[in-house]
Amino acid sequence: MLLKILSKSDLPDAVERLGQRYRIIAPMLHEGQTVFKELLPGDAPDMEYRTTPLPPKKALLPPREELIQLQSTNGESRLEPVLDVQPAVLLGVHTCDLHAIGLLDKVFTEGVPDQHYINRRRLTKIISLECLEPCSEHSFCKSMGTLAVPESFDLHLTDLGSDYAVEIGSKAGLNLLWKFFTIRDAGDDDYARLNKAMSEKWSRFNYRLDIDATELPGLMSLNYADELWEELGQQCLSCGACNLVCPTCFCFDVQDEIDVDLRSGVRTRVWDSCQLARFALVAGGHNFRIRRGDRLRHRFMRKGKYIQEMYDRPGCVGCGRCAQACPVDIKPLDVFNRLAAGHVNQSEMKKEAIV
Amino acid sequence: MTHPRAKIAFFDFAGCEGCQLTVLDTLQTHPELLQAVEILEFRESMSEREDGYEIAFIEGSCVWPMDEERLRKIRAQAKIVVALGACAHIAGVNSIRRSMSPEKAAEIVYGREVQNYVTKSARPIDAIIPVDAVLPGCPIDRHEFLRAVSMLLQGTLPQIPSDPVCVECRLDENRCLLLRGQACMGPITRGGCGAICPAFGVGCEGCRGMLADMNFEGLREQFLANGLSLADFERRISMFLSEQTPTLQVRA
Repeated sequence: MLLKILSKSDLPDAVERLGQRYRIIAPMLHEGQTVFKELLPGDAPDMEYRTTPLPPKKALLPPREELIQLQSTNGESRLEPVLDVQPAVLLGVHTCDLHAIGLLDKVFTEGVPDQHYINRRRLTKIISLECLEPCSEHSFCKSMGTLAVPESFDLHLTDLGSDYAVEIGSKAGLNLLWKFFTIRDAGDDDYARLNKAMSEKWSRFNYRLDIDATELPGLMSLNYADELWEELGQQCLSCGACNLVCPTCFCFDVQDEIDVDLRSGVRTRVWDSCQLARFALVAGGHNFRIRRGDRLRHRFMRKGKYIQEMYDRPGCVGCGRCAQACPVDIKPLDVFNRLAAGHVNQSEMKKEAIV
Repeated sequence: MTHPRAKIAFFDFAGCEGCQLTVLDTLQTHPELLQAVEILEFRESMSEREDGYEIAFIEGSCVWPMDEERLRKIRAQAKIVVALGACAHIAGVNSIRRSMSPEKAAEIVYGREVQNYVTKSARPIDAIIPVDAVLPGCPIDRHEFLRAVSMLLQGTLPQIPSDPVCVECRLDENRCLLLRGQACMGPITRGGCGAICPAFGVGCEGCRGMLADMNFEGLREQFLANGLSLADFERRISMFLSEQTPTLQVRA
């Protein structure tokens, strides 16, 4: 059978063995919060974590990443791409974040393939973690269809109390399991435990969209000119936090830096944010989203409509990170629900008018 | 291929000399700088001085009447003038006196000796002479200084970020101070400092100056919503940002 059982007490040994062969990036307690970090020998992953400030996206698309190194010697210039070569294991990825990685896989492989992302993705095995409780009061993954695990993991763990149920998602995952983990086959009793955990979890996720997620793109189109955007624009500080913590945001800026010897330098990419005033500034000095409300609307359009239409995957996975990060309390679910409520009121008004 | 070294000079006005010290320190951590530039004047570090500089880095704000003439002389000689640090950029901490009349400030500082001093309100150097580029901060950021020198050597003017401090703060996964109810000017302040203050749990003071496009009222509202007072907000403004916040100047 495909289902295996890993005793929790055997996880530290497995992680240690993995660490001898792979760079491990895992949730780790760090200064009062859990962040995805590279595990060093002796470090223990925080497998009970709820959420992290930045999503595990950062293991595949680092916030700051060197793309090219430039070196000029004796009048000859050389450009060398910087490619990560170390195989990695990304441990403890929640299902919403795994859905988001699925989107990034599409974004960075279709159209113009991004060799830096593709290379790192190929070298990274993902061990995901079933979500049995909401990460925070802001999570609405269930509404976005991201609470069920997509089939893009290598191994997937479900907490059964003293054990993890381990599902195998790929050949690479199977290899990891045989080489590094001490496991046993699942028995009837284990299946019963897994079924119980899985059937009990859904009712714990109550924070939700008032409409079906498939209606979001249409709702966003209808409300393109809504006054809500301008109202939220008054509050928004344009700090960019919502974009920077988002697992599905993939915009970046590219910067070149030449050392003072004028002989060497690097090209770096950095995560970017469409909420920043200069984001839509183009040559000639024109800025086509000068108003904060316009920038805010653009982000919600991306999350609720554009990404879904371009990539056939949700642009928002409902992780709740942006709601948690926003210093002025702008929450995506509130925005979507408020638009939905306005729409419902309008159609009711229309109905009354017809009657 | 070797480039001729750029001839540069450092000048100081009213300030704590911390930006010059940062430059001095950078010369030690990055000795290759001395292969790239020739320093003709730098009072903080050498007694020799020579004319013929092309790039002038000016630290400090303008407070004395005689400062104006000295600034104009530098401008007449230098092809490029760079404001070095918060005092030259936005009158720095010196601008704190804007929260009262110049006479009152002088009296508090100098007491009975007040008649011996003719200080005016602190002004940034671009209030006196045109400035080509700015390296903001209290003190300046050493990497930004290095980048600026490199850009000047490449024949372009140094560019500084126009993103708020929050960007680097979030990328580094610092815990947001505003979300914890504390005072922080990060959302309206120019980043590029590596969010060094919030990284150590201290709210941003705004030393790199206010962004041209930011939500001043929104941040003030958030201070109040966090249970902070208007006075808390104005205290933050008065440290570095009063030059850029005319409405808060000279309160009764």
